[in-house]
Amino acid sequence: MQTEESLLTDRPGLLAQPQAAELTAENVVVQFGGLAAISKVSLTVRRGDIFGLIGPNGAGKTTLVNCLTGFQAPTSGRVLLGGDATSGWSPDKFRKQGVARTFQAGRLFKEMTVLENVEVAAVGLGLTRRAAQLRAMALLDWVGLAPQANRIAGTLAYTDERRVGIARALILSPAFILLDEPAAGMSDAECEDLIEWVATIPDRFNCGVLLIEHNMRVIMGVCDRIHVLDGGRSLAEGTPAEIQENPAVMAAYLGMES
Amino acid sequence: MFIRTALRGLITPLLLILGVAVITFLGVLGGDQVQTSLTEMLIRMVVVVGMWIFVGNSGVISFGHVGFMCIGGYAAAWATVDPNWKSIMLTGLPDFLQNGQYPFPYAVIGGAVLAAVVAIVLGAAIMRLSGIAASIATFAFLMIVNSVYSNWDSVTGGTSSIIGIPTVVGPWVAFAFAAGAILLAYAFKSSRFGLMLRATREDEVAAKASAINVFRVRLAAFVLSAGVVGVGGALWAHFLGVLTADSFYLSLSFITLSMLVVGGLGSLTGAVVGVVVVTIVVEVLRALEGGIALGKATLSLPPGSQEIGLGLVLALIMIFRPSGLTRGREFRLPWLQSRAGVVVSNTAPATGE
Repeated sequence: MQTEESLLTDRPGLLAQPQAAELTAENVVVQFGGLAAISKVSLTVRRGDIFGLIGPNGAGKTTLVNCLTGFQAPTSGRVLLGGDATSGWSPDKFRKQGVARTFQAGRLFKEMTVLENVEVAAVGLGLTRRAAQLRAMALLDWVGLAPQANRIAGTLAYTDERRVGIARALILSPAFILLDEPAAGMSDAECEDLIEWVATIPDRFNCGVLLIEHNMRVIMGVCDRIHVLDGGRSLAEGTPAEIQENPAVMAAYLGMES
Repeated sequence: MFIRTALRGLITPLLLILGVAVITFLGVLGGDQVQTSLTEMLIRMVVVVGMWIFVGNSGVISFGHVGFMCIGGYAAAWATVDPNWKSIMLTGLPDFLQNGQYPFPYAVIGGAVLAAVVAIVLGAAIMRLSGIAASIATFAFLMIVNSVYSNWDSVTGGTSSIIGIPTVVGPWVAFAFAAGAILLAYAFKSSRFGLMLRATREDEVAAKASAINVFRVRLAAFVLSAGVVGVGGALWAHFLGVLTADSFYLSLSFITLSMLVVGGLGSLTGAVVGVVVVTIVVEVLRALEGGIALGKATLSLPPGSQEIGLGLVLALIMIFRPSGLTRGREFRLPWLQSRAGVVVSNTAPATGE
């Protein structure tokens, strides 16, 4: 009998993936036609860290996440997982190698139950339905949505929807999880609730978190490092304290004068 | 408790099979005409349930499945027709078919296997396309099959029919296969592949991010689906006793697809209900076309009413029940519904770290 803890965080043998310590973008460029969505962006997310990615709308945050998860091939530059080149990997390969993500709009499987939404990712990773259900249930329990397990996902409140999306990405304990504005559209209180919970993920699952979030107060409080994008270029990277004091960031993004 | 759990898993297919059994039983009591329509309906049920395995779970409409029916039907005919007949009609068959004659079960298996093999080759190309492009490609496939089977004289008899196929399929044989198809389809839906495929139907992007290889799960369903439809073709051949390539073309594609849509693409129940409902509508209209005596006057609808009537039914469904008569839900008994969160017990020892 497996314990709940092991159901939550261990990685079954069939996922004998090399658990990479770093997810790295190296001089990544993405061009759509003549338009550069991202130019020469480099960053590294480490296991155990919460890495903030901020920038105004259109800065290229989502495009970068797409590059880091196989949804977008860089025009030039490389994405490395634990030092290995990932070129040509499909999104499902990224997930199998331990890089998971969520989406801005949630993108739940709306006609399926909450349990099936989480279960299916474990099934995609190779588990039987029964084993996947056990793990999905343990995870939903941790998320606090176990009572909703048999509800159709499309009927959930949007705050719960986001949690299911994160649970779906967390199942079988990926090495990295990339959260694309998980709190978009939430009130300040809801946002703080969610991010407080997100902050417990790295320790619990021994993974690295990349977090895109607009609420400055929240992100400054929770991140180990922050990377600022503006117009597809890297503006700055550092600890929250460094970012807060960076004049270029203040001028371009925070809009503060000092 | 165990029995309840087991029942809950199987209740949908068992209820469907029971319903179909009742219809079959009542139909068998009727005359020859009723029995013919009944057998036809049950064979179409095999085909439509087979189509549903792919179309229903993947959400990708296929216009090409009747092509697999054609392939299955001819393969079965090659196996069971008397070699003396074949030496007159078909001269280009491989030796084991040209000079041999095989029993009906072999013919059914042969039909399924040939259809599935063609589906592997075709699917390897088509399943890489996105939904609507894939649908159009399946239509092209239907046209290719029709073209090949209408013109490959030495193997298919070309535009002339293959005759002399043993007519061994009656209502109960067809029922047995329909029941089998229902069980298989439900097992697929409940399987790992079925779950992953339904996720790709809901949101392809999120499915990819959930480690699902969309191409692989679609291809698996496509091949299984083609195999079942191939069985349907074999049954059809051994029901009519005669095969022509043109009978597996647009009108049959239209009627099988409308059965799927009327019942509701989202559920197996929809596929089964759709077959029954559309069959009833078509039979009633066909009877009215033939004329019904009311006292001295004979009421009859003009020829073509069948097609128009079916079109009307389809249009009304699309307007009032866009997700079909069943709204994509499976048939269940309410008192066997599972409660939330019964899947895992919370009594597992929580030993902590």
